[in-house]
Amino acid sequence: MATDITIPSDLWDGDEECVVTAWLASDGGKVTEGALIAEIMTAKVQYEITAPATGTLHIVKAQDEVAAKGDVIGTIT
Amino acid sequence: MIVTPFSSAEHGIAREAALLRDGRPALLLWQAEEPALVLPAALARRQDVRPARARAARAGWPTARRGSGGGIVPQGPSTLNLAMISPVAQGFTLEDGYNMICGALIEALSRFDITASTGSKPDAFCDGAWNILAEGRKLAGTAQRWRATPQGPILLAHAAVLIHRPESTLWPTLRDLSDAAFSDQPPIDADAHVALADLLPGRMNPDAFSGAVLRAAEERLVALGAREKDAA
Repeated sequence: MATDITIPSDLWDGDEECVVTAWLASDGGKVTEGALIAEIMTAKVQYEITAPATGTLHIVKAQDEVAAKGDVIGTIT
Repeated sequence: MIVTPFSSAEHGIAREAALLRDGRPALLLWQAEEPALVLPAALARRQDVRPARARAARAGWPTARRGSGGGIVPQGPSTLNLAMISPVAQGFTLEDGYNMICGALIEALSRFDITASTGSKPDAFCDGAWNILAEGRKLAGTAQRWRATPQGPILLAHAAVLIHRPESTLWPTLRDLSDAAFSDQPPIDADAHVALADLLPGRMNPDAFSGAVLRAAEERLVALGAREKDAA
């Protein structure tokens, strides 16, 4: 079963989008629950994303791609 | 001493990062002795920006890198930095973080009869919605960094306040570098900025501001800590 890596929907009030500024794990690589795997940026805020599960990372939104609140930027299987 | 002096902006940024890693509530007011233009690391790596970086260094404004994004920020004796670090609970938003640090700055400025507000200033350096504006000009810029931990996020809210009018060489240098880096943005206008020293009544020393801003920031960190305790 896949676990989605989503942009938090309650982190900011407005509808601004964010940018995936870095993936700190490789597409297809193994990740551990709680490990830092990505960074996003919105409104001059850099925010860290941790792995919600242990497994293999599949990147959906590449570095420098734009995402909205609640968007899936990757999955872990 | 209230304000921690660092020889370079990179040392100050490294100290902020260390406090963020530590994760406990902390306040840091700091200044760099040497002038520098601080760029996001991604920008500093760009080949097309290198010639402008070299010109900036020759003009007395070497560039330094920071881990976060955003625009170009001048550091040195004319800039005072405030960093507020604290764990935050579920439900604390980016806007809450900005309200916290901007509120501290606005309250401290009010002690000197300076009316300030938050807002964008498109022709100022490193523009954002949460600038501190006084007389309609940019006095300070703010940004945040959130670190993920198993116990919840740690917030680093940062402000860079122009306390003295920068050396005149800054503006053409900053404009040149900004044009090279962000061709789609309006050119930086020196008149879009104001320094604290130009706003203070009479010949008051801008250093008096440090104590006021520290008290206002400390009150907010204590309040945030109490809110965390209640949420736990």
